[in-house]
Amino acid sequence: MPATTKTNLQLVVNGLLNENPIFRLALSMCPAVGISTTVANGLLLGVAVLFVQVFSSCTISLIKNHIHPRIRIPTYTLTIATWVTVIDLLLAAYLPAAYQAMGIFVRLIVAFAIITMRLEVFACRNTLTASFWDGIGMGFGFMFGMVVLGAVREVLGMGTFLGYDVLGFRPMLFFVLPAAGFFLVGFMMAVFNYAETVYHRRARRAAAVQAGVVK
Amino acid sequence: MREILKITIALTVSCLLAGLMIGVTFIFTARAKQHNELLNTRKTMLGLLGYGSHRPAPEDLTLHQVHRYIVREGDTLRVGYLVPVRGNPRKGCAFVVLDLEGGFLEQHRLKLAPEEALDAEDRKKALLSALKGSTKVEFADTMIIACLGGERTAYLLPGEFPGFKTFIKAVVALDADFRVLGLEVIEHEEDPGLGGEITQDYFKNQFIGKSFEKLKNLQVIKEPLPEEYRRVLESMGSGSDLPARESAEIHKTYQDKDIHALTGATISSAAVTNGVKAITRKFAYRLRILDEALAAGNVPVLF
Repeated sequence: MPATTKTNLQLVVNGLLNENPIFRLALSMCPAVGISTTVANGLLLGVAVLFVQVFSSCTISLIKNHIHPRIRIPTYTLTIATWVTVIDLLLAAYLPAAYQAMGIFVRLIVAFAIITMRLEVFACRNTLTASFWDGIGMGFGFMFGMVVLGAVREVLGMGTFLGYDVLGFRPMLFFVLPAAGFFLVGFMMAVFNYAETVYHRRARRAAAVQAGVVK
Repeated sequence: MREILKITIALTVSCLLAGLMIGVTFIFTARAKQHNELLNTRKTMLGLLGYGSHRPAPEDLTLHQVHRYIVREGDTLRVGYLVPVRGNPRKGCAFVVLDLEGGFLEQHRLKLAPEEALDAEDRKKALLSALKGSTKVEFADTMIIACLGGERTAYLLPGEFPGFKTFIKAVVALDADFRVLGLEVIEHEEDPGLGGEITQDYFKNQFIGKSFEKLKNLQVIKEPLPEEYRRVLESMGSGSDLPARESAEIHKTYQDKDIHALTGATISSAAVTNGVKAITRKFAYRLRILDEALAAGNVPVLF
């Protein structure tokens, strides 16, 4: 794939909508299904992934001309592992409260597919700025997906939101189980696909109107 | 061949660079991380004794740390206790050496303040400078004696014991009569959802109130936890939504019963129970020996 031609804003929106890691690229579904049980968990993990994605993308973009093509994947893994360790140490030292909440999640990020994939597909052939904004887009897309899933599962499964009781009872405890996570991800994928179909249909109509074919 | 060499060099260089980055970060963050862990430990300890944001610890509550060491001098093994002592003009530390039967042998005054004694490296340096050159010391464990205005009120015992997977690190809190005040699981690698439930209130609070006598033959029973007992246990952690007298009565009926095992985690439950028994038994034995030795040697300890 050649270097991207999108603007920085388009890269961010791309990560949020067109190529949303969970609902369009179907990557990193493990955490999407397993950890999105509450809004708080989803938010914390999303923030951690955002940082790791941005830093890793920038690093690989900087050294892309020096990576031997046959050891790309070990290099990516090494970069990701280094950044995860650095973020883990920094959190433990300077933000102990946040570390208590998301310390266990940060270490899991090394194995996420989305980060390695993005480095392979994007960061190793694009400039530093483009990689930075793409990382931001992917990170926010992942966070958005986790928060939406977390919100639905927490409200419908536990009756709370961010820990606060909103419903006063538990509608369907089933939503807290991983099976419900899969169902919801599938449902959200359908929603995204439908939205895209509608968007394209409208775009085609607008283009046709412009061309004077339809009134 | 050249290809393999290039790849090897590239990988080695990458690993070295990565290691360098991690190392540099570690140097900058190590102190701060240690400090945070210390604060956290202190908060957990006070929480175990029943103090917290709703009930601040009294001014004259002091936690005295006693560190046990194994002393090796050539072929002979001895036991040493690093204790805080009175002194002029300030408090200090002394190292009391006992033989393996508990007989008092010698005491050494250390160039160490009790606050400095919290750090393992500082302790080791002070010990090695006070003892004969050929002696080797090996850290064993720590016990914390909580005193309220000079009187012993509680004991905090950090300990480690084998669990279902690897080790479980926990802290047992005992009151002055060796009755369990609380249990906190600090670190474990049990399965989340199964053995990992040992950190939940409805399991670890079962140990609260068990007397020393009951602990000696405490067993794990494979019966489901009664619903009323579970509610009482869960309310013991943080504020109660049950009237105090009713929960106290329910708790009393279960106080002398055995521990209800966790569903699907019998081995983890038994591991924790045996761990708590072992920690308490060993502590009671060692405290008796230590008190006798301290009296025999006339050591001016702060507790």
